[in-house]
Amino acid sequence: MIKWIKIAFRNILKNKRRSFVTLLAIALGFAAVNLFRGYTHNTYNGLRNSAIRGHGLGHLAVYKNGWLEHGKTAPDKYMLTKKEIETIVSIVEAEKEVVLATPELHVTGLVTNGRVSTIFVAKGVIPKDEKAIKEGWVGTRPVTGAPLQDDKLYGVEMAEDLARHLDLKPKSEGVIMAATLDGQMNALNVEVAGTYNTGVRATNDKFIRMPFAYAQELYDTDKADRIVVLLDYWRNTVALRDRLQTKLAQAGLPVEIKTWRELAVFYKRVKGLFDMIFTFIFAIVLVIVVMSVINTMGMAVLERTREIGTLRALGLKKRGVSLLFALEGALLGFMGCAAGMVLNIIVWAIIRYISPTYTPPGNSAPVPLIVNLVPETMTLLMLFLVLLSLIAAILPARRAAKQNVVDSLGYV
Amino acid sequence: MALIEIKQVQKEYQLGETTVPALRGVDLDIDAGEFVAVWGPSGSGKTTLLNLIGTIDEPTEGDVLIGGKSIKKMSDDKRSELRNHTIGFVFQGFNLVPVLSALENVMLPLQINGTSSAKAKEIAISRLEAVGLKAFLKHRPDKLSGGQQQRVSIARALAANPAVVIADEPTANLDSETARNIIGLMHQLNEMEAVTFIFSTHDQRLLDQVKRMVRLEDGKIANGGE
Repeated sequence: MIKWIKIAFRNILKNKRRSFVTLLAIALGFAAVNLFRGYTHNTYNGLRNSAIRGHGLGHLAVYKNGWLEHGKTAPDKYMLTKKEIETIVSIVEAEKEVVLATPELHVTGLVTNGRVSTIFVAKGVIPKDEKAIKEGWVGTRPVTGAPLQDDKLYGVEMAEDLARHLDLKPKSEGVIMAATLDGQMNALNVEVAGTYNTGVRATNDKFIRMPFAYAQELYDTDKADRIVVLLDYWRNTVALRDRLQTKLAQAGLPVEIKTWRELAVFYKRVKGLFDMIFTFIFAIVLVIVVMSVINTMGMAVLERTREIGTLRALGLKKRGVSLLFALEGALLGFMGCAAGMVLNIIVWAIIRYISPTYTPPGNSAPVPLIVNLVPETMTLLMLFLVLLSLIAAILPARRAAKQNVVDSLGYV
Repeated sequence: MALIEIKQVQKEYQLGETTVPALRGVDLDIDAGEFVAVWGPSGSGKTTLLNLIGTIDEPTEGDVLIGGKSIKKMSDDKRSELRNHTIGFVFQGFNLVPVLSALENVMLPLQINGTSSAKAKEIAISRLEAVGLKAFLKHRPDKLSGGQQQRVSIARALAANPAVVIADEPTANLDSETARNIIGLMHQLNEMEAVTFIFSTHDQRLLDQVKRMVRLEDGKIANGGE
């Protein structure tokens, strides 16, 4: 086999210009696919972390059956009671993969500075649990002023645009109003402990984070609408969802569990879009690689017709001729991928060095353009393109093998 | 039993709608160790006859037997094996693989039949020594003269220790002195190694070294067939 690889390699080097063009096409295709995959890899990681930690979805969310469909019209009926919350948290936190399980209550209403009022959407959270969920993400969307505190019931974190509209700054006070679960109007004093940027224009003028107990007081209830569960590793999500679903059902709790992927609408949309673009780029690269290899090998077969005749006369069987050209195609694919890998790493290093930023549509702040190196994708793509080049070379190789020996020897 | 038996062989080529007869009922026996020249004017059927003996072509009628085995009954793979083990080829245009050195070209038939690289190298070096090219082992064909390339080609033809070497117009691309040397070398190897040599030529000046001459005319043996 080594001698045939040697012949294939030398033939590739012999036709330098043609081989260079083919190798360049494969290398550019390989680098383009890997760079885009590196970008989406980073984006998916970022969006996943953003959903789980930044938006505080956690890995799993436990709801009472019916909450997602009817919770808005009959919230009291579909919220989790205090006893249910305690039971669920104790069952969930017994699992070794669970970092924490924390109740939340999402509320809506009006917020005013005394002169101007506007609507708000707020999330009532237990501050220390929220901090644990956010973890390093706090640095990405920092709070100006003071964060939520467990011992300060009336302190809230307000989205920057909302605070600006109301002319509220950290330590300034306002009033929050909402209808309780019984339908009575309730109003509470509030202090803006800190302000933060949600990162999205559509929410930056509406969002508030408040202590769970404050949200309960606003709705005049001791219930929660969900329990957010944080796991040690995101890949455990589905397995744990299934296990908890069984255990909670056995405990007689009428609940349903949603994964972060089911709840993160933005993640799903972006992933769908990027996956489609990736498929499109990948298909273009496939066509380029296949056409380049077929063209190069077709030319090689034509130019080396007499050589094929000679090899056949020396006793090389038809499948030996096929193997020789198929190997040459595979070697072209391999060398192209190796060159593409070098190109990929160079571009990756340049991007890291320059650290460019861009503002995606709908975002209120720029994000860094980061491209990851994904070794699994590189390896798989290399194997795939080498195999593809081999298959693409088989067509001209079979034609070469089928040629009549006498005709081949007489070819000029 | 003769090494090569050609029995009532006819060969026709189809050129469009025209059938062109190249051989018209040739009978010929060649024994092991013979040094045979097939000669005649252009278009007399020399190359066709050598292609049939070399099993790279099939007769339209009749049969060719190599070592008593009919080539008509052989599969393509079996014929490839027969060529590799029993027949060596020397071509008019040398037909060396351009990306391989002289040594690697000579190793090729051995590597095709699965001989280990070390053994193939050892045999190839001895063959190149025998044709006087020990100093040119690493040279690629484009760095060798026509005569040197043909010597490499002869060494390659002998590498797998074949029973017969077929040379179609081996001197056609060489000057007369080199041509004479090449025929002399083939003759010398024929006597030393007892390998059967069959070569075609239309140059009568080369025939004085030949033991047996087969003259073809219009696809038939004019003389030398017995």
